[in-house]
Amino acid sequence: MAEAYFPVGPGLGPEENFLSLEDILMSQEKLPGRVEAALPRLAAVLGKGAAGSKVEIPLWLAKGLYDNKRRILSVELPKIYKEGWRTVFSADANVVDLHKMGPYYYGFGSQLLNFDNPENAEIAQTILQTFIGRFRRIMDSSQNAYNEDTSALVARLDELERALFRAGQKGLNDFQCWEKGQASQITASSLVQNYRKRKFTDVDG
Amino acid sequence: MDPAEAEFLAEKELVTVIPNFSLDRIYLIGGDLGPFNPGLPVEVPLWLAVNLKQRQKCRLIPPEWMDAEKLEEIRDQERKEDTFTPMPSPYYMELTKLLLNYASDSIPKADEIRTLVKDTWDTRIAKLRLSADSFVRQQEAHAKLDNLTLMEINTTGTFLTQALDHMYKLRTNLQPAESAQSQDF
Repeated sequence: MAEAYFPVGPGLGPEENFLSLEDILMSQEKLPGRVEAALPRLAAVLGKGAAGSKVEIPLWLAKGLYDNKRRILSVELPKIYKEGWRTVFSADANVVDLHKMGPYYYGFGSQLLNFDNPENAEIAQTILQTFIGRFRRIMDSSQNAYNEDTSALVARLDELERALFRAGQKGLNDFQCWEKGQASQITASSLVQNYRKRKFTDVDG
Repeated sequence: MDPAEAEFLAEKELVTVIPNFSLDRIYLIGGDLGPFNPGLPVEVPLWLAVNLKQRQKCRLIPPEWMDAEKLEEIRDQERKEDTFTPMPSPYYMELTKLLLNYASDSIPKADEIRTLVKDTWDTRIAKLRLSADSFVRQQEAHAKLDNLTLMEINTTGTFLTQALDHMYKLRTNLQPAESAQSQDF
């Protein structure tokens, strides 16, 4: 309620949010693919650009070049969305280090559904089930860690889960701070603290 | 909603005080506050009671549920049941905090009461988390929880609604994508 800045959240569906910083960073993640047609003027970005060569391009470029008639580019799934890792996720979603596996697992996975792929239904299902499986742990750790160093707890979470963790921590911190009575103390707003105005005594000189 | 806002709403609850001054009926926008006579108990909203106490113009009487045995019973019943038991007041947490901060001298066994209320709070929050987890796990569309107080909802509300938003978006991914729509301005 008292925030000065409301960031635009990531869109988790097939369309990303244009104004969301998280989505912009997420679309920079690389995607393996294969070039179908020769692309002479894109050699700077794609390396050689000869037809049939494998490339790793960022998602935003892949989305731009991808066409339903598949003349230019064909994408492959990154490792973690393939069959092998999908079974790992369905076995136990909690052990995976989602931060290392690409810090935007959920967002990137949702974007992958844009490219027609026979495995899309399973990918979507796996992403959903992973989220559900990890939900409990995020909830418990965010609501119970008060005034501690939380870096060990968030190390294995991807960006979406970290945002959730921060929301849970905020709820807890607000409550504890109210209970201690600090909620009625007037403190300087975070917007103004950095202004470093000269104090009145300094002006008098 | 901040905890401070929930506390503001809680301050409308009526408590009994014994003033040591006299004053005729006062007519406020929210309602009338009865004539104050020294030594006679009168019901006032909590905000006025705390203010009078700070100016040393009254003595607060704890509500009848703020008693060690009663709270022990409530706590034990909360631990036995799987669902939420009705609380003696929808603002028990705020009332406890305010009364114990400003009027602990008129409340017998204040520390014990604080501990008992905290225990009850912890049990209820744990139940809330358990039911949130089973709600998410089974992907239910609709849940109903009786007897929750505003403060409890506030503490877990933001997290839960954000998580459910994400889950909803991931779930709509499961449906096959419609044909591409152009962006509208």
